[in-house]
Amino acid sequence: GSLGDPQNLKCVTHNLHKMLCTWDGSSRGRHTQTDFCYTTNDLTPQVCFKTKERRVEIPVPEGSITVTIKSSGTAFATKEFVIHQKDISFVPATPHILSLMPDFPTSTLNLKWSDNGSVFRYGLDALWQIQILRKEATEVTYYSKLTHEDVILSWNWTSDMPLECTSHYVKIRCYINATQFVGPKDWSDWSPAEMIPGKDTEPGGSGVFPLDPVVAVGSDLTFCCVHEEDQHITNMTYGSKSYTMTQLSSRSHAIRVLNASVSNTSGTNVVCRLEDGLEGSVVFVGYAPDIPQNLSCETSNFLIIKCTWKPGRPSGLYGERRTKYSLFERTSGKNVSCEVSEVSRDHVCDFPVLRDQKTYDFILGVSNPIGQSQSSLMVDITRRVRPKTPEKLTVTGNNSTSIQLRWFINGSFAGTRLLCQIEISSSHSERKLHNVSIPGRKFSTYTAQMNALHPDTKYQFRVRCSAADHFWRWSDWSRGVEQTTSEAPP
Amino acid sequence: MAAADSPSAALRRRDLCSRGIRLAGKMRADVIDLLDAYVEQQGLDASASVAAVEGVPLAAVERWDEQTGTQRLLENLAAYRAFRALLAQMLEEQREQLGEADAGLGRALAAVLLQVSAFAYHLEELLRLESRGIPGEEEEEDGPPPPPRLSLFEQKLRGLGVLRELAQWALRSVRDLRQLAKPSPATGVAPGLVESP
Repeated sequence: GSLGDPQNLKCVTHNLHKMLCTWDGSSRGRHTQTDFCYTTNDLTPQVCFKTKERRVEIPVPEGSITVTIKSSGTAFATKEFVIHQKDISFVPATPHILSLMPDFPTSTLNLKWSDNGSVFRYGLDALWQIQILRKEATEVTYYSKLTHEDVILSWNWTSDMPLECTSHYVKIRCYINATQFVGPKDWSDWSPAEMIPGKDTEPGGSGVFPLDPVVAVGSDLTFCCVHEEDQHITNMTYGSKSYTMTQLSSRSHAIRVLNASVSNTSGTNVVCRLEDGLEGSVVFVGYAPDIPQNLSCETSNFLIIKCTWKPGRPSGLYGERRTKYSLFERTSGKNVSCEVSEVSRDHVCDFPVLRDQKTYDFILGVSNPIGQSQSSLMVDITRRVRPKTPEKLTVTGNNSTSIQLRWFINGSFAGTRLLCQIEISSSHSERKLHNVSIPGRKFSTYTAQMNALHPDTKYQFRVRCSAADHFWRWSDWSRGVEQTTSEAPP
Repeated sequence: MAAADSPSAALRRRDLCSRGIRLAGKMRADVIDLLDAYVEQQGLDASASVAAVEGVPLAAVERWDEQTGTQRLLENLAAYRAFRALLAQMLEEQREQLGEADAGLGRALAAVLLQVSAFAYHLEELLRLESRGIPGEEEEEDGPPPPPRLSLFEQKLRGLGVLRELAQWALRSVRDLRQLAKPSPATGVAPGLVESP
């Protein structure tokens, strides 16, 4: 063909059913009228149209397509091409980012884009390459399935450094693995980049980031110091140790702390020394709460249920970051938050005894800024009675061979049978235990008669009680009382 | 010009001044101990330079010699009221951040706060002795407007700045009270507040 003939016909499809064909020709004929005809096979009539452009959009053929291009005005500029599917490139359309949202506390970017699946007639596997650009580029591949509908895809990426440290740019491109398509397949173009500006782009954005974070022991941490352009950084320290700095931008330097150990009560200071001042942050490094061990619940008065547990390893977090406990009872749906001091050894939580409820299905929830855990316990509270210490043990009657005792128990034991044990000791006989079973009452006094005693003998008594049915634990012993039997009658 | 002092008023003032000097001396010692504990507990560098902290009265004063007695007392009183509010806030932040961990520092802070309050009251006594009105107790009831929410590191630095400046003020108060207690050359009697040079 001569120079003026159409040549280098190339066809690209973005959606496997339409393709864009372009060609070269003489520069003189750039905008002259062209007759473009094509036919997919012998059976269908030729389709022709006129165009001034050197690009036309025509259907992607199942097999091959014959194209005739005639530049009007010059008799010789007619050229015929036969295009097979294998000659057609499949390059997906350039994806567009719908949104890029930062979550600074977690240094996470959320990316949303449409997969443009509706342009394809059937399901296809798609690969998405996402590039995150900072000082150095990070590339990640994401897989999805196209379903002939436009689906908004959402993807989270957690940066290894706070988003405030420097600007983060994100762009995306797509590759579709259309196995039925025999032509060459390629990545789409990169989408326009979306940016999350760092504090180093803000006037007055100075500071150390992250600001006052709470992290788990063993974490690898990146801290950055954002400063003014002309400010010189002397050094950056984590606790008492100085670290080598990496420059992220003209206004941002970072240090990397590996395998952070637990901080002291007031946190570990991250200090950025500038020539004319200090910037800093305080990081709290602790443990997620352990699963509470030995959860046990009992009542001493049928008014309050007292649950105790072993907290496990201390979290190392205090004040507003301390580990908090709550007691949830599934049957009633009642939830109680527990006042537990992080420094005290006893972990106790009170829950009210509920009217007409015997069985309690407890979940002890534990949480701190690093994590959470829980323990559960199902208990029949009538089988977990440990009365309060009997009080005001007094002698109310006395003769030569018997003594009557009375005591008070603070609690509501109506409907519960009590088993009380009286310890009798005297100078010349072994310590004896005397059990009495008494119907419980509400905030009541109880009495018992000690018989078969020796006349004119000093005795010491003390008492403890428990539930008679379903014994659980004795109360503590009451205070002792002393009494001497009267002399035997002559 | 206040009427010449009666001997009993002069004696009362000298007594208040000497008790004030002892109070300030003890307060300074406790503040310095607290400062050491604070620096260690907060993981700070004892030599860290701290920019002037908003709301913290500066002890340094120009032409200290030329101040009248009333100026000394009024400046002292204003300073210790400010420190009372600042220390109360530090105590609140301490409880918020540490809860019951390291209660020792909290107790030491509360003890110094008590001394500052007592010293402020003592200064008011001195002013009342001179039938000087006690400045705007009501306006200062709510204390200075709450400062902007600081980051934890800024809170630590501010605490350092507050305690350092309080230690300086205790020193200045001792000198101010000694100045007040000095008998005036002419009458041999401690001067009324106005006549001080």
